[in-house]
Amino acid sequence: MKRFRFFYNEYRERLFAYLLKMTGDYHLSADIMQESFTRYMERYKNRSHSASLLFAIGRNLVIDHARRRNTRASYGDFTLNSPQADQEQALMVRERYRQVLAGMQQLPQKERDTLALVVSSDLPYAKIAEITGTSEANVKVMVHRARVKLRRILQAGES
Amino acid sequence: MKDYLISMFIDNELDLDEKMMFVETVHGDRRFKDETVSLIGQEKLLRADMATRVPAAVQIGAAKTFTLHGFRPLAAFSAVLALATALFFLYPRPAKHLAPIAARHSMPYRFVVYLPHAHRTQITGSFTGWRPLPMREIAQTGYWVLTLNLSAGEYRYSYLVDSAKHIADPTIATREKDDFGGENSIIEVKNAT
Repeated sequence: MKRFRFFYNEYRERLFAYLLKMTGDYHLSADIMQESFTRYMERYKNRSHSASLLFAIGRNLVIDHARRRNTRASYGDFTLNSPQADQEQALMVRERYRQVLAGMQQLPQKERDTLALVVSSDLPYAKIAEITGTSEANVKVMVHRARVKLRRILQAGES
Repeated sequence: MKDYLISMFIDNELDLDEKMMFVETVHGDRRFKDETVSLIGQEKLLRADMATRVPAAVQIGAAKTFTLHGFRPLAAFSAVLALATALFFLYPRPAKHLAPIAARHSMPYRFVVYLPHAHRTQITGSFTGWRPLPMREIAQTGYWVLTLNLSAGEYRYSYLVDSAKHIADPTIATREKDDFGGENSIIEVKNAT
């Protein structure tokens, strides 16, 4: 339990940052984060802790959630339309960061996934490739393409 | 097209040959240099402090049991919403949970705690990535000390007594509950100037 405590403290914020970038939604991210740690604890508490595994669990939950919400397969639209949810979100997510989240949601799914993992998990490309089931070379190309596209989106939003 | 080197540079993925190529390109190609600076600027934003509060993911009580919830997004969403709202109004506004932004200079900060019955004392906090560091007892006086170099910023920490019990710093009034039923102390280290 003690080791899990350190692991948890170290990765809670990173996992949340990843989920927030993926979903753009504070409360949904909180939900998925709780479920991720719970599943991680249930299944893997006795082995040495692995950030890749934690992020893989979180990522799968995001994908499952998107599939349930939208069987048309795009996992882009997570916006909760209730005004109350919007207000809550405004309190929790810093104003400047909301533009980043909105920009992230406009990226194609695979690019958003790769960029969010690279930026938030701090794991090396090789591990990200394992999590996303692709090659390291592909991660390298994808993450750069995502950064360039995101900049274009954010600049377009400013002008 | 060497542009992907910029992302590899940002993500610390360059090997030595690539580093050489990167530096030469930055020197020789103005557009590449501008692109690098621009994307580093964006990266600061991407990695910035994102939320006023990062929610707790698990609640582990003193009995070391914790509740598992089925994943019911709507029900869970309502519960989290209610909890978050309650926490927002009930708790004194805790400051940022995210890692402090490092300042240019760090300065020594001395942690001292009086634990006469402890055989071993460690400190664990956001400045160590929550890994415990051993403290030194001053000549069997019960005073345990450790000096760390800290940059300006806000830090959370607790003491770990005999590798078993976490306690907040009794001399620091600002505390918050951690997600394990204990408490962390919060300090703000300011620039010496």
